[in-house]
Amino acid sequence: MRVAFVGKGGVGKSMIAGTFARLLARRGEDVLAVDTDPMPGLNFMLGLPVVDIAIPDEAVVEGPPDGDRFVLRPGLDAIGAVEAYAPVGADGVRYLQFGNLRGPVSTQFRSQAAFRQIVRDLPEDRWHLIGDLPGGTRQAMFGWGKFADTVAIVVEPTPKSISTACRLARMREATWAPRELVVVANRVRLATDADDISARTGLRVVAAIPDDPEVSAADRAGLAPLDGAPHSPFVAAVRGLVDQSVPTLAREEVTR
Amino acid sequence: MKVAVIGKGGSGKTTTSAIVARTLARTGRDVVALDCDTNPNLGISLGIGDDEAERLMAMRQGLEAGDEEHARGWDVLLDRFGTDAPDGVRLAVVSWIENPEPG
Repeated sequence: MRVAFVGKGGVGKSMIAGTFARLLARRGEDVLAVDTDPMPGLNFMLGLPVVDIAIPDEAVVEGPPDGDRFVLRPGLDAIGAVEAYAPVGADGVRYLQFGNLRGPVSTQFRSQAAFRQIVRDLPEDRWHLIGDLPGGTRQAMFGWGKFADTVAIVVEPTPKSISTACRLARMREATWAPRELVVVANRVRLATDADDISARTGLRVVAAIPDDPEVSAADRAGLAPLDGAPHSPFVAAVRGLVDQSVPTLAREEVTR
Repeated sequence: MKVAVIGKGGSGKTTTSAIVARTLARTGRDVVALDCDTNPNLGISLGIGDDEAERLMAMRQGLEAGDEEHARGWDVLLDRFGTDAPDGVRLAVVSWIENPEPG
């Protein structure tokens, strides 16, 4: 599957995306986690330290005159590029980063081209693609989640998060509208929260993840939910989302 | 005094800005609150209500679409495109993306 997590800043996109990706990988699936945040955070959920791994210039050559400006160099396809440039994180999830603001802009064009080509060409039948977009509406509304067939808006039961979700819901009107646009409710406290969010956004809530002090404590300690709070209600809820999203998966989880 | 509040998503920038703005205004100072976020929520935190926040953004969008003539100066802009928030804070939305890019 190809899913992108979007939503207001701080609602838990990286935490959910990272946990989702790792639980998929534990079922024996090949998973690429893509982070397009200029201030990446998904790497921490995969047990990778601060990574500064822009796709290097030499991965890319100038494209044909009538085609893309930059393309992956001859002999390097999407899978090869993932194997070469996407480090292996916890549970075997590959991590591809694009968008950090440290490099010069010229480099950004090249790595952006490589990033887009990898995301476009990676065979869908073999690789799951889990995307984590920056908080807010900007990248999402500019179509950075186009690679995803499902866009999941992460929403907390707060007015600012809900109004952000309502703005993001306008993605339905784009020519590149995702096949499925759904809500993942996070930090749910009341039995009525999920229904309220659904009513306000007009979108289906596919998971209601509880507000979870265990996960907050793990986060403060610098640990991903799967490492610091593996038996938490949060992890159980994300596991439920994985089961529901890919019903054909193997039942057993294997830690890689 | 001109203050910009920055930080990671969800860390409380908007809430902090709103409290600083209203607290300053309560001491009798003239305060302008500018929402420079492409996903603007400062109106909600200042307490103008959802409807007024949406109206403000719709007006901003009208300017973008060329429905409104560009104003001459900051004071005219604040007057025409701002709104009164509690404690006398004047709020204006500077940037906001409403429609998805077609491409």
